[in-house]
Amino acid sequence: MRIPILKLHDYLLISIQVELDDQTAIQFQQDLLEKIHETGVKGVVIDLTSVDMIDSYIAKILSDVVRMSSLLGAKVVLTGIRPAVAITLIDLGITLKDVPTALDLEKGLEKLQQELEG
Amino acid sequence: MDSPVIAHLKEHKDKIVELWMKKMDEAAAEAPQSNINYKALITTNETFAEVIYNYILNDGSSRNLNEFIGRILQFGWPLSYLTHGIQVFRRVVIEVIGGKAENTKELLQLYQQTDAIIDPISNKLIHDAAEQWENTVYLQKNALMELSAPLIPVMEKISVMPLIGTIDTERAKLIMENLLEGVIEHRSEVVLIDITGVPIVDTMVAHHIIQAAEAVRLVGAKCILVGIRPEIAQTIVNLGITLSDFPTRSTLKEGIETALKMTKREIVFIDQEGSD
Repeated sequence: MRIPILKLHDYLLISIQVELDDQTAIQFQQDLLEKIHETGVKGVVIDLTSVDMIDSYIAKILSDVVRMSSLLGAKVVLTGIRPAVAITLIDLGITLKDVPTALDLEKGLEKLQQELEG
Repeated sequence: MDSPVIAHLKEHKDKIVELWMKKMDEAAAEAPQSNINYKALITTNETFAEVIYNYILNDGSSRNLNEFIGRILQFGWPLSYLTHGIQVFRRVVIEVIGGKAENTKELLQLYQQTDAIIDPISNKLIHDAAEQWENTVYLQKNALMELSAPLIPVMEKISVMPLIGTIDTERAKLIMENLLEGVIEHRSEVVLIDITGVPIVDTMVAHHIIQAAEAVRLVGAKCILVGIRPEIAQTIVNLGITLSDFPTRSTLKEGIETALKMTKREIVFIDQEGSD
């Protein structure tokens, strides 16, 4: 199972619409990094609106992806984290401290734009 | 086959009811209930006697009794009226049918049988009343919960959650849920948590607030903690709690100003002469 990665101007858009298992997440990590390398984009938005559950492993992979992408020179914003997911993450002690977040895709893109211009 | 007590009860119904009414009247005269008028009391007493009799003779069909108890409690009459009524009934029954016993053994038997008939009534009464109170407490608790953590959208992108009263774990959970749902619903970018009304901020409360702020950040908004009184600031520092991950302000007013800055807006005065 692969997660589609869409390119829009200078950004990559990813909407995760399946329950992430470990295998899919690793695959996604590789695909995304390769895509960033290939296209040279400056910003990535990962939308989690349809994700009902994130466990500690997936959370780790997500925060790894953010750091790895920034090594490649791309800023990543996570958007649309649901309240229930946020509560689970906090309960697990995962705060994703260095990861920028936004309410939804639209706000995420705005945020990226601001950060890249500023 | 009816037990002798039932037979006696049937036989002496009029006498028992009459005596019972008299005793209830006396009791009412001795300790008048200010919120019960006398006429209503008489009618109710009559119904009460009827209901008790029905219950005993119909052998456990309790619908009438349930209705009666429910009605009395709804009117706000004291439970003691009902328990007293049943105690008096027991005494009257013993008094009336006790005389029919030929020896002590028979008397004791009658007494026990009477108890066996009347005990379920009083048990049921207490059970019903307790249930009703539990229900009331449950409803009030729910109402309190609903009122306990409202998220108020004050302007576009800015919401305020005023917290009043002590925060325990259960409430903290509710606060967090309301906060996050509200942020999504109102599409807020900045949320001000106002703790002016929180009397005590200890490590536990601070921990809950920090967690809530982190969760808010995960869903894509920012938190400002406002309403920190001087003594709260002292406790926070003395307890060694760091609240450095999100901005804090002493008043809601300053918090709103900060929030406006964060959303790149400001309040400007309208030039009055220019408005002509």
